[in-house]
Order: sequence, then C-alpha cells, then structure tokens
Amino acid sequence: MTVHLKIDGRLLDDVRKDLHRPHAFAHERVGFFTAGAADLGDRLLLTIRGYTPVADEDYEIDRKVGAKIGSAAMRKAVQSAYRPAAALLHVHTHGGRGKPGFSRVDLNSADDFVPGFFETSPRMPHGLLVLSNDAAHGLLWLANDRAPVAIDQLQRIDAPLQREWGSHVLA
Amino acid sequence: MSWLDRQSFLGADSDATLAWATVGLVGLGGGNSHVVQQLAHLGVGGFVLLDDDIITLTNLNRLVGGTLDDVKAERAKVEIAARVIGAVNPNARIVMRKAKWQEVGDLLKGCDIIVGGLDHIGSKDELEGFCRRFMIPYIDMGMDVTPLPGAGQSLVSGQVVLSMPGEPCLRCLQLVTDERLKAEAQRYGVAGSRPQVVWPNGLLASTAVGLVVQLLTPWMSDPPRSAYFAYDANLGTVAPSDRLARRHGKPCPHYPAKAVGDPMFDVRRYLERLDQPASVEPPVGAPASRVALVLGWVRKRFGRG
Repeated sequence: MTVHLKIDGRLLDDVRKDLHRPHAFAHERVGFFTAGAADLGDRLLLTIRGYTPVADEDYEIDRKVGAKIGSAAMRKAVQSAYRPAAALLHVHTHGGRGKPGFSRVDLNSADDFVPGFFETSPRMPHGLLVLSNDAAHGLLWLANDRAPVAIDQLQRIDAPLQREWGSHVLA
Repeated sequence: MSWLDRQSFLGADSDATLAWATVGLVGLGGGNSHVVQQLAHLGVGGFVLLDDDIITLTNLNRLVGGTLDDVKAERAKVEIAARVIGAVNPNARIVMRKAKWQEVGDLLKGCDIIVGGLDHIGSKDELEGFCRRFMIPYIDMGMDVTPLPGAGQSLVSGQVVLSMPGEPCLRCLQLVTDERLKAEAQRYGVAGSRPQVVWPNGLLASTAVGLVVQLLTPWMSDPPRSAYFAYDANLGTVAPSDRLARRHGKPCPHYPAKAVGDPMFDVRRYLERLDQPASVEPPVGAPASRVALVLGWVRKRFGRG
C-alpha cells in the first residue's frame, strides 16, 4: 500500500507563505490541513480540503522547541475535522530545499496529538507533514495503535501538474 | 536514439514524465479515438479505457483505428483503442473495460488526467463531478452539427474545456445548464443519431491533447489553469471563449474545495480490507473472461475471495 496526497498548487503556495510569517516569540509556525480520503485499491488517496493556521495567541512560550501550541489550537483543529469527517494533518516547515525530515521533537509531539485526532474523527487517518521550500515529507497513522506509514507522494494540482516527492509511478 | 527524440523540446524529463502518467479516456468513439492515438504517439505510458459500446458500421466514418473487420467482429471500442496504443507503444500500461464508466469508476480514481468523449450533457456533468471529487483535471470535448435554415446548410461547432479543481466548471461556463439537462431528458429514447464527422473530432481532439501535454510537461511557461476553446468549423477558427474570461477571478460555486474525497471512506474498513489475504486479479489489460466476471461479481456481492 502507498499513500498519495493531492493539494491545490495555489493553496500549497499560500501555506508556505503563511508558515514563513514571523511570530512574536515562536521560532516557527504550525497549521493543520483537513483532507478527504479514498481507497484506490493499491493506494490510499488523501485530497486536501483546506488549511487552518494556528492563531498567534494560541502559541505558548517554550524555549526547548521551535513552536509549542496550546489546547485552544488543538481544539480548533479537531473542530475543523469534525463534520464532515476529515483527516487532520499537522504541518510546519523547515524551509530550505530538498526533502525535509522530522526531528525527534516533531515525532514526540505527534504522539501527543494523534490520539486526540482519532478520538474526534476515528473513521479518518491522521498525520504529520513537514515542508521545505520545494519538497515535503509526511507520515500517516491509519489507526491509533499502529505505526505510521510514509506518505509516498505529494501531487501538486496545478498547471503543469507536479510531484513534490515520490516514485513518480502512478499506475 | 529514442522514438521520442523529436519532441525533446517538451522538457528534459518529458519522456519519463509522459511514460509515468496515466490518462483516463471515457468514451472511445470519434473524439477519443483520435486522442488515444495521439497520446500513444506522445509516449503517454498509462491508459484507462472505458466504453460499453462496440463499433458499428456507422462509426466507420470517424472512429480512428476502426476497420470493416472490427465491425464484422462486433469488436469493443476499448479493444480497438488498446490495439492502436499497442501498435505504437507495446510497453504501455492499459486497463480497459467494456462497461459504462459509472460501473467501473474506481478504475479512474488513480488517473492523472481524464479526457471525456461523451455525447450527453448529463454524462459530462457526472464525470466532471467525479473528477472534482478526486482532484483530477478533466478535459471535456463536445461537437455539434446544427441544421441552418436553407437547403443543406449546417453549422458545425464544438468546444474543448479544461476543468481544474478550483477553476470554472462546465456549469460555470454554461455548457451544463438545467435547461439543457431537461431538454436532453425529454429527447431520451427518441430515435435517430446525432450527426458526427471525422475532421472536427480530429481538431477538437488535437486541442485536447495539447492541454494534456501542457499539464504534464513544462514546455510552456506558466500555462493557464483552465481553458475553453470554441471551434467554429464554418469560419475555420478555434479561439478562447469569452465565457471563461467572464469567470476570471470568480470561485466555482458548484464544487467547493471541501467536497473532495470519498464521503463514505472509513479507515477502519480500509484496514480490514488490507488485513485480508490478497485476491487474485486478472492481469491488467487482459479482457476479463465470463468466469472472471462472475467471480468478480460474487466477491463484490458477498465479500469473499
């Protein structure tokens, strides 16, 4: 099984811009994608529906991490995925070029918020995305008690169509 | 030397990009018979071919690749299309079904682009809705022959539309309207076929193929995200329609961004399916035998397999 994610190109550009905005004290910004899903047989398709940035006031001061978000931010995120049921993808950017990777802090924070996502929206998968300026990397949980799987491919729906990573083999 | 050397201007990696792409063709009649042939020559590597019809004598005036032998053999249009592709590119990945696309729509969900060669407004509307749900660029072709007052005079016209997620849809562009759907429903079952002829189909198909290439390769800087080309065979013109210009900057109210994905999707059911032993499927591209079709129906109906 592979995971394939589609996003409107203009939305992706807007999200990158949003995540690069400076914050009063947080070193990086965070947001959440909502997504639909579909079973393509050998592939799981995620289709991005929208983006919710974390509001300025929902960041908390924590010098040990690039950005710490509070319970209000998580509540708003899960509300956005409640009805219609949507997959939630936590997203931030590391900037730069090339395929980014998750830090230990990123992975640890996923252990905190992914169970909450499944409580609100158990019929959808949930995950974590990190962007660079020209690529991305993602993990997806299909169940709370299973290890995540990699998001194999991100396709930018635009003219021309672009794939930001992956094997490029679609069929 | 590669058979695609002469089109290297399409981009450094265009051969690979085209080979990796999968294009769905719905309706393999006059229009898409040209499209499938051109895509094969371009080196597009993946095809999903869907049409429930066979070739008949009156298709021979326009169905590229069709022969009198095919008519005698009552050959399925998808088989003719697959033969056309295979004669150019034997390595192409072909999935084909002689079926209405609505019955085998799952096969289309993984396509990069879908090209519709459908006659009926209602079918175009349905297929576009499907494409929007799975964020697949949809290219629609249509041709009309309208009798003009006076002896033996006709107006031959048509259009090609690129419908992308977030951009104007066929309803925004007034190609699908409630009035036209109603009129079509009232005509349903009335005897007689719509007039069709080969050269406008070829021109519209070439325009559609141009849009496919724009979507897949970077040969044009900053290609448009949507397109509406209107064809007037009497004047001999293909021109951008002002209907699209009038929609510039206006969001499509018919297909909101939130309405994507399968509304019935449940990851718990998905995992159950993944955890089941894999069933044996016929090889891609092979026509399904009657036994395989029956077994497939049993699996679908009773979930065994």
